[in-house]
Amino acid sequence: MDRAAGGDREAFEELVRRHADHLYAVVLRFTGDPSEAEEVVQEAFLRAWRSIGRFEGRSQFFTWLCRIGLNEAKRGGTGRPAPEALSVEEGALERTADLRQAPEPHAEHRDLRLALERAVRALPEGYRAPLILRDVEGLSTGQAAEILGLSEAAFKSRLHRARLVVRDAIDGYLSGDGR
Amino acid sequence: MRLRELRPSFMLDHHFTRRHLADYLDGELESPARERLEHHAELCPKCRRMVATLLRTLEGLRGLRGQSALAGSHSVSDSVIARLREDT
Repeated sequence: MDRAAGGDREAFEELVRRHADHLYAVVLRFTGDPSEAEEVVQEAFLRAWRSIGRFEGRSQFFTWLCRIGLNEAKRGGTGRPAPEALSVEEGALERTADLRQAPEPHAEHRDLRLALERAVRALPEGYRAPLILRDVEGLSTGQAAEILGLSEAAFKSRLHRARLVVRDAIDGYLSGDGR
Repeated sequence: MRLRELRPSFMLDHHFTRRHLADYLDGELESPARERLEHHAELCPKCRRMVATLLRTLEGLRGLRGQSALAGSHSVSDSVIARLREDT
């Protein structure tokens, strides 16, 4: 990391090999488009390389990189204007629960996975981001909150609401649980 | 409604469970609070189902990691490195 921060490109390329696929996985969940996600990842690393001298090491490299990547994804990767990235539009979260679908009588594991994918995709971005970073990608609460520029309390609150909405959306697949 | 559900202590535990559920799910609820929540969930069908379905939801979400995102895909590091070399 120190060598990369000092401008050593080979050392930076090692960071690319270590983190590019993980960043791609995160970004793809936001864009839903593999080629756009790849472009966003390329752009994020380029930006990181150009400003590596400003990386102070107070956070982990991936946290810093992920923040750059998600900002890039919000801009659409191609310079189009950024939408309200962490918008929490009134009522939008409640509408997500309307995705609720009854499964086929013999719904299998794959159907649950597809229902989950659909429910996550339907969340407003301000709720989707915490859920993806924490529950899907397994980042720590502190790391994910830092990437999104939220306090831990605000992050936890959004995460919990998002989990409840996703649970409601897949409720038909969970009918046997807890009885 | 069963008799136990009318007891004040039951309702206190019910509110306690709802308030601390997020910390419980993240493994951040310490003993004895954790036992209080789990004990209540055993007695309260609504909370039992809430806890069980949320745990199942989390398990499913964790299972999404890496599944559709990279399945069948190449590593993107080669294209990133090629772009870096072009740029410098």
